[in-house]
Amino acid sequence: METQEISVEATGETVGEAKWAALRELEKQHPGLDKSAVHFQVVTEGERGLLGVGFSPAKVVATVSAGAAAAAPVDESELAAETRALVTRIVDGIGVSGRIDVNEDDEVITVSCAGPDLGMLIGRHGQTIDAVQYLANAIMWRRHPQDRKEVVVDAAGYRDRRRVALESLAVRSAERALSDDEPVELEPMTAVERKVVHLRLKEFDGVETTSEGTEPNRFVVVHPVA
Amino acid sequence: MADLLEYLAKQLVDDPDAVRVERVDEPDAVVLRLHVAQDDLGKVIGKQGRIARALRTIVRAGSVREHRRVQLEIVD
Repeated sequence: METQEISVEATGETVGEAKWAALRELEKQHPGLDKSAVHFQVVTEGERGLLGVGFSPAKVVATVSAGAAAAAPVDESELAAETRALVTRIVDGIGVSGRIDVNEDDEVITVSCAGPDLGMLIGRHGQTIDAVQYLANAIMWRRHPQDRKEVVVDAAGYRDRRRVALESLAVRSAERALSDDEPVELEPMTAVERKVVHLRLKEFDGVETTSEGTEPNRFVVVHPVA
Repeated sequence: MADLLEYLAKQLVDDPDAVRVERVDEPDAVVLRLHVAQDDLGKVIGKQGRIARALRTIVRAGSVREHRRVQLEIVD
């Protein structure tokens, strides 16, 4: 059997940077590839030059066997792979670079992004990441009306951090609604965030929650019930 | 950014061939005009305008790199 290999060529100011760039390019083409299986060949070391004169970049070729490139996402379902491709396309289009990991269970496909400029992907109050998630769900639902799964788009633990903060806000608001015996209105939130609050207070005795107002200023109200 | 918008719109409509994004450069902003088949307007606007809002948010996020305001107009 012939072993197929995948190569990319990359340049950089130093050999190290060129290697890094080559690895990034390989990862982009083959998400989740086994990095330890990548071999580098230095084509030119490059010349640093003096005051910008005589500079030539370092050039390397990174090679990996097709097997190692495809090894990691081997347990990825078709649906998960498709979701990964879709979210990768959107995130790239926005101009955010990074690594994308996919996790799938019976109900949810979670796509997590890691990288240097995630603030841009998350956006103010999580607006941007929620928009990416909303569109990813709309598109996947349209493509697969039969076997759909909920898509969650995350960035470096953002959803977890946000969920913890929202749950503690929910509990504090419920306690205030009970002690003041008056409804408590929360700040406007996205649908995803409102759902976290509703769910947290579902099992909280003595309060009920509703959503009021119109998007994008829809907010949760916590009502005390007698 | 126009590429991404066109790609997303094509995933949402029944008639992807009718999707076209026209870029209009104005002095203080870039306007992206999204053209879709008339029957597909609802598909890119969505219930309570939620798809259109998500598209706008994404276009705005992507325009940070352009250093100019990018607006999205939806036309049939």
